Amino acid sequence: MSRLQSWEGFLLVCLIVIFGFNAVLTPEFLGIGNQINLFQLSIEKIILALVMTFIIINAEIDLSIGSMMGLSACSFGYLLQLGTPAPLAILICLGVGIAGGFLNGWFVARLGLPSLVVTLATLIGFRGLARVMVEDRGIGDFPEWFDALGQQGLIGPIPFALIAFVVLFVLLYVLLERSGFGRKTYVIGSNRDVADFAGIDTARHKIILFTMSGTAAAFAGLLYAARVGAVRGDVAAGFELDVITIVLLGGVSIFGGKGTLVGTLLSILIVLNLRNGMALLNITGHIQTGVIGLLLIASVVIPRLKLAKPRAIKPEATA
Amino acid sequence: MKHLIMGAAAALMLTTANFAYAEAIKLEGGKATNMVLLPKFLGILVFDQANEGAQEAHKELANSGELQFVGPTPENSVAGQIEIMTTSGTQGVGAIMLSNNAGDQITPSAEAAQKAGAKVVTWDSPIPGGKGEDVFVAQVDFGSIGVVMADMAHSILGGKGKMAVLSASADASNQNAWIDAMKAALAADPKYADIELVDVVYGDDQAEVSYNRALALVDKYPDLGLIMSPTTVGIQASAKAMQDEGLCDKVKVSGLGLPSEMVSYTMNGCAPEFALWDFRDLGYLTYMTAYGLATGQLKGEIGETFTAGRMGDYSIEADPGREGAKRILMGPFTIYNKDNVEAAAK
Repeated sequence: MSRLQSWEGFLLVCLIVIFGFNAVLTPEFLGIGNQINLFQLSIEKIILALVMTFIIINAEIDLSIGSMMGLSACSFGYLLQLGTPAPLAILICLGVGIAGGFLNGWFVARLGLPSLVVTLATLIGFRGLARVMVEDRGIGDFPEWFDALGQQGLIGPIPFALIAFVVLFVLLYVLLERSGFGRKTYVIGSNRDVADFAGIDTARHKIILFTMSGTAAAFAGLLYAARVGAVRGDVAAGFELDVITIVLLGGVSIFGGKGTLVGTLLSILIVLNLRNGMALLNITGHIQTGVIGLLLIASVVIPRLKLAKPRAIKPEATA
Repeated sequence: MKHLIMGAAAALMLTTANFAYAEAIKLEGGKATNMVLLPKFLGILVFDQANEGAQEAHKELANSGELQFVGPTPENSVAGQIEIMTTSGTQGVGAIMLSNNAGDQITPSAEAAQKAGAKVVTWDSPIPGGKGEDVFVAQVDFGSIGVVMADMAHSILGGKGKMAVLSASADASNQNAWIDAMKAALAADPKYADIELVDVVYGDDQAEVSYNRALALVDKYPDLGLIMSPTTVGIQASAKAMQDEGLCDKVKVSGLGLPSEMVSYTMNGCAPEFALWDFRDLGYLTYMTAYGLATGQLKGEIGETFTAGRMGDYSIEADPGREGAKRILMGPFTIYNKDNVEAAAK
C-alpha cells in the first residue's frame, strides 16, 4: 500500500511539473476556456477510464468499449433517422450498452472465457453492427438541445459532460474505496479462488462490472455524438487503447488487485495536460503519441526498478 | 425573339455584374497574423507539397506571424483534427486552413474557432454541410473531375468493361463528390453505356488497407478491367497490388495520382493514364485567400475578386455542390500518360 501511495506521489510531482511547464511556456494554457476544452476534448475517454479502473483491478480487461461507444453513437443517429424521438433513442442506446456489457460479463463469468478473448470478439462485433447501421456515411442534424448539451456550458461555461465526469468520479470513488462492493473488487482481482472460497459470488460481481462498463461506454458514445454533432461508423475506433493506457499509467496493476481511482485521476490529468501543452506548442501528432508511449513504458519500468534493487545489491554483499 | 432579348438582357446583367468587381483586390503584404495549415493527417506527400506552397506565399507576403503545419496521425485523424481546430481557436490564430477528414464532426469546433475570431478556409476537402467554413478553395470543379475520370475509364477500357472505385475514407466529402460526379457523367452520355461501375470500396487513405482492398476487388470481380482510385494513396497502392500480383495486363489502374509516385506504373502499363492538379499551387492559393480574410482585406463575399500573387486573379463564388457554401475555384488539371509523366515526375 505504501508503494502505491508513493506511486501516486510520483504522479502528483509529474503533474505539477507538466502543469508548471505549460503555464510558463504557453500564455493560453491557464485560460478557463482552454482548461474546459482540455477535459472536453477527451471527456469520453476519461469517463471510460474510471470504469476501466474497476475492470482491471478485478483482473479483467474490456477491449470492446471503443466499439460500444461507436455502436451507441451510430444507433442514436440511426434511430433518429428512422424518426424515433431523441429521448427514447437515448434510452434505447443505453439499453444497448447494458445488454452488450451484460453479454461480455456473462461470457467471461459464466462460461469462464478469458475477457481478453471475449471483448476482442465484441470489439469486432459491435463495430461491425455500427458500420452496418450507418453504412458509409455520416449522420448529423441532431436536435438542437442535444447538440447544445455536448457543445455549450450547462452551468456557466462548464459543459454537461464535465459535470457528469465529476459526479461519476465521486460516486465511483465511494463505491471502490468505501464500500463492500469495492472490497470485493480488490479481493476477486487479487485471487479469485480465495474469493470463491470466502463465499463471494464472483461471477455475479464480474457480470455487474462488465455491465457497468458497457453502460458507461454507451453513455460516452452519446456524449461524443452530442459533442461533435454527427456520427459515422468509425466513431471512437481505437479509444480503448488510450483508456487502458491512462489506467495503467495511473498505477493500476494489469494483473489485478492493485490500484486506486485517485491514481487514475492523476494519470488522466497528466495525459490531458501533456497533450494540451504539446498541442498549444504546435507539436504534431506523431511526437505526442511517442511521448505518451514513453510515459507508459516509464510507468511500467519504474516500479519494477524499485523491486529489482534488493536483488542487484545481493552479489556485492556476498563478495 | 423573346429568347434573344432575354438572352441579351442576361448578358448585359452579367457584364455589369463583372464590372462591379472588375477591380481585383491587391493583397497588401507585411501584416502579422498567425496561421495554421491543418492537413487530413501527416506523412502524405501531397499535403507536404501544399505546405511548400503555403510557405512560399507566407514568405512572399512577408507575414511576420507564424505559419504552423500541424496535423494528426493517420489512426487518430478525426479526433486529432477536432483537437487541433479547438486548440487553434484557443491560441487565437488568424486563420485555420483545413483539409477536412472529419466530415461534419468538425463543425462544432470550427464554429468555435470562428467565434474566437479565426477564419476557417478549407482546401482539398471541404466541410460537407458548409457550416463553420468561410470559404472552400476547390482544386478543380468537382463536376469536371467526374467527366475526366469517366473519360479516362472510357479510353483505358476501350469503351467497354467493368470498373470499381477504390476511394479514401467513406466520409471524405471531396472523394464522395467526385465519385457522384463520375456516376452522373457515366449516366449522362450514351458513349459510356458499356462501362459498368460494379463497386465502391474504401481504403481509408492508408497504403496497406488500400492495397488489400484492391486485391479483394480483383477476387470478387474476376472480370474486372479497371480500378479507379480518386486518391493519391489509393491509386499508388492499387497499382502496386496489380504489379505485385502480375495482374497489370488484365486490370488497369487510374484515378488521381502524383506523377513522382506513379511514373513507374505508367511506364510499365499498370496505370496508363491518371490526372492531378498541383498541390503546391493549391497550398499557395489557400494561403493567399486565408491571409486576405484574416487581415480583413477580403470580406469573403460572393463576387469578390483578388490577385493571388503569381497565380493571377480569383473570385469567390457560390459552391454549386454545397448549398449556401462559398468556393474559390483553382482549376485546371493535367492528365498524365507515357508522354508527359516522366517530365512531371522530376
